[in-house]
Amino acid sequence: MDLQTFNQIAELGKLTFSDTERDELLSDMTEIIDIMDTVKNADLVYDPLKDNKNVFINELRKDNAEPSFPTAKILQNARNMNNCFVVPKVVE
Amino acid sequence: MNLTELSLRQMRSALDKKEITSAELTQSYLDNIAKTDAKIESYVTVCDEAAMKQAAAAQERINAGEVSPLTGIPLAIKDNICTEGVRTTCASRMLENFIPPYNATVMEKLNAENAVMLGKTSMDEFAMGSTTQTAYEKKTKNPYDLGKVPGGSSGGSAAAVSANLAPAALGSDTGGSIRQPSSFCGVTGLKPTYARVSRYGLIAFASSLDQIGPIARSAEDCGYLLNSISGFDPHDGTSMRRAVPDFTSKCGQGVKGLKVALPKEFFEDGATEFVRGTVLSAAEKLKEMGAELVECSMPALKYAVPAYFLISSAEAASNLARFDGIKYGHRSEKGSTYGELIMNSRSEGFGREVKRRIMLGNYALSSGYYDAYYGKACALRQEIREEYNKIFETADVILTPTAPRTAFGINENITDPKMIYYSDICTVTVNIASLPAISTTCGYDESGMPVGMSVIGKMWDEETIIGAVDAFEKTFTRIPAKGVC
Repeated sequence: MDLQTFNQIAELGKLTFSDTERDELLSDMTEIIDIMDTVKNADLVYDPLKDNKNVFINELRKDNAEPSFPTAKILQNARNMNNCFVVPKVVE
Repeated sequence: MNLTELSLRQMRSALDKKEITSAELTQSYLDNIAKTDAKIESYVTVCDEAAMKQAAAAQERINAGEVSPLTGIPLAIKDNICTEGVRTTCASRMLENFIPPYNATVMEKLNAENAVMLGKTSMDEFAMGSTTQTAYEKKTKNPYDLGKVPGGSSGGSAAAVSANLAPAALGSDTGGSIRQPSSFCGVTGLKPTYARVSRYGLIAFASSLDQIGPIARSAEDCGYLLNSISGFDPHDGTSMRRAVPDFTSKCGQGVKGLKVALPKEFFEDGATEFVRGTVLSAAEKLKEMGAELVECSMPALKYAVPAYFLISSAEAASNLARFDGIKYGHRSEKGSTYGELIMNSRSEGFGREVKRRIMLGNYALSSGYYDAYYGKACALRQEIREEYNKIFETADVILTPTAPRTAFGINENITDPKMIYYSDICTVTVNIASLPAISTTCGYDESGMPVGMSVIGKMWDEETIIGAVDAFEKTFTRIPAKGVC
């Protein structure tokens, strides 16, 4: 994996790395992708029709409005103020 | 009576006959934890006071004669299963202080029976690993040898059962995370059929592969616990509305006439000669007991590890996108913009292995790589399912090693991706194909470390694999862990 690809993938994953971490992970990723590359040798093509036989038919709940968790309980694990999540200023 | 050596059924009987109380039983396990867990580090959180309160409530129910199978029985719970009001860390800095506002469905089921929760057990961070050494807080040791890993990711649950710090525990299995640590720690672990047990409240790793299951001292105990946690859940759209049988119904019936398939690839290059020989000896033992051995093949096994890591990492990258440091989880003190706050929170909160998987998942799903990696992995998933279906045309169950080797040293090179990822080769196909499988001990190596074998079943046929392993266990002498004696 080249550095440009690495940086693009890190941006997608919302991750940042120190130079040391980046060098270590870049080396790991190169080794990991070598392992993953072996799937390219399999002479197979994904057939979406086949999967229909294996996929369970989901039994979904009816879309009825029901009481949810109390706001205070949901906020107990977050920095919050006036019953709202606190985030850095987004709009000036 | 040694309370910490009773089976779950024996506990039920002793509690119902008032020979023991739930408080005595719970306290005996808490005493063991206090005495030895500083060395093993199997628990992230021990719920001493809450457990004794639960035991008292359970005793009232027992005294009133209104018992359920697990009333008053203490259990350990893996720390990726949400427990209302009790810290659930997923062994990550990201969730170091997370207190769930709700219970996982399996916890609701256990609470409805007045089971007692001893505490939350350690694991690999976000269940990504095979050693329990990627845990942020408690890097669990193997009770058979404190210098060796307990396996993972449910290493805390397996070690706790192995060291008599819990009679049984819940784990989760995405690519072998119940079976491999059970093998390394000399206990029995069952990965149920996908959709058998609700995943609601299980912190997601790879949603098409994750499944909660039991770890215990015997196949019968695994079945006993599975009876209480299975069933359809309206909160989990992938759980199956299907009758829950008595999973212990085939215990005590033996294996006469059972067709046991041995896929040759599982016994080739990957496994050590000792593991191979020990599992094949177990197969011969089953034959002596009346089973019929069937030779078979699974050619796609050579692609199973990369296919598994591509699918699971792609799903993990999506599932872990929710951790932004704002709604819950670790929040960085650095970052003056919304984007910086999220980036810094995630970078500080996740450990190295989790970051590797997020990177791999996003890479596999990226434009230009998707068909070559994720698309091919999905094709392999279909192929592996078909190969299993073919084997089950002529066999009732499949026997394989659980892991290619016995537990390895904590100081070995456990960050090497190739070594770590290929240690899952014997287990990942079961998750890929959504099948049930159970691991039990079938021997010990020259260092006294347990060797595990896995019995894989047809979808929804946990009874047969539990029955087969129960028959084997009744002929096998288990050697208890000595590392903490």
